[in-house]
Amino acid sequence: MGMVHQALRAVLTGAVLISSSLSYSQVGSKPGFNVTPSAKDWQDLAKLPDWSGIWNPKITDQDQQVKTNMPPWKPEIADIIKFQLAEEKAGRPTPLFVNCLPEGMPAWMLISHNSMEVLFTPGRVTMLGESDGNRLRRIYTDGRKHPVDPDPTFHGHSIGHWEGDTLVVDTVAILPQAIFAVSEAAGVPHNGDIHITERIRLVGKDQLHDELVITAPHVLTKPWKTTRISFRQRAQKFDIVEGVCLEGSFRPAKDAKGFDIYEPIPMDIGGNRTPPQ
Amino acid sequence: MKQHNTSAALALSILLSFGGLPVAQAHHSTTMFDHAQSVTITGVIKEVQWTNPHVAVFISGSIKGEEASVWLMEMTSPGNLTRVSNWTRNSAKVGDKVVVAFSPLRNGKKGGALKRMTLEDGRVLTTDIRAQESANLEETQGAK
Repeated sequence: MGMVHQALRAVLTGAVLISSSLSYSQVGSKPGFNVTPSAKDWQDLAKLPDWSGIWNPKITDQDQQVKTNMPPWKPEIADIIKFQLAEEKAGRPTPLFVNCLPEGMPAWMLISHNSMEVLFTPGRVTMLGESDGNRLRRIYTDGRKHPVDPDPTFHGHSIGHWEGDTLVVDTVAILPQAIFAVSEAAGVPHNGDIHITERIRLVGKDQLHDELVITAPHVLTKPWKTTRISFRQRAQKFDIVEGVCLEGSFRPAKDAKGFDIYEPIPMDIGGNRTPPQ
Repeated sequence: MKQHNTSAALALSILLSFGGLPVAQAHHSTTMFDHAQSVTITGVIKEVQWTNPHVAVFISGSIKGEEASVWLMEMTSPGNLTRVSNWTRNSAKVGDKVVVAFSPLRNGKKGGALKRMTLEDGRVLTTDIRAQESANLEETQGAK
């Protein structure tokens, strides 16, 4: 083996070592491909903070922030929100989320009344929501960038990294139709170009705080900061089970041949079943 | 200001129009129910719909001073009910005799938001989703 070969082998070995030590802090040798996780990548998950369990939102704080921390809406949007809040108070809530499309971002994080769980796998954090089969956020922590021209989705494209025990998430490419809501009855479509950064961390043993900064140039005059709080539940009886939003629009029935089928339930404009009479 | 009101109304009409699609159940405010009022109905459960996103029970019974009829009672999701008050899909079954306190629909129809259901054996089930705001509910509060 000549000197050139030896030198080349040293360089290659070094390159492999560097690549392996960077691991998921940088996507490996094949840009654009999901890397096969190593045993060490799985072991490294143990160094992350413990976010196991079920997290249910602090709804009273969501309620409170409508009064104390309103987003800096553009004047014409502020008028709509004010009108919607008055309508809600008067018993005529605007039906923003009654079509069973996902609440999407940022509404899921801001106004959900349902729980979620958070899963860690190599290169990825996954949030799974309750009560709506489409509630799912994939946050890539493998060092990738946002795609150049991603297809917009309800939850957007999220990349994240850990700063100590804090998960820092950056989200773009959210469908312009997704509602930027401060309550289930007050909000508007963000109309595009929304950008959300989040710092998510444990506070104490059993609270998860999500500090959001939302930039939404078509509806806000400046970025808005807010924190959303969740409580940990470990009891197995609270485990998140399948929840399909549209299921509630049907009732079980039998067809003429005795098959178990679903039949639609009449609904009113507010998203409730129509009372019998 | 007038211009703003017009745009508010316009935006609202856009938000309200679902292109003729049937409205489905989903995540919504509950102020169509008059939460300042509490009405009590005594009767028998006719049907239970233990489904996401909202559980419902139909009760055949009477409210003091009124004729007997069937009432629809709406609730939150199965998951929330479990955390709030240990509900399961078998907590209240067809044929059970119950006393239910509820906030009625403002439009006068026979529907309400169920607040508290008392069963014949004395069990009391509640529905307030804001009553689950602490960690490890089962350990700290024990079985209700």
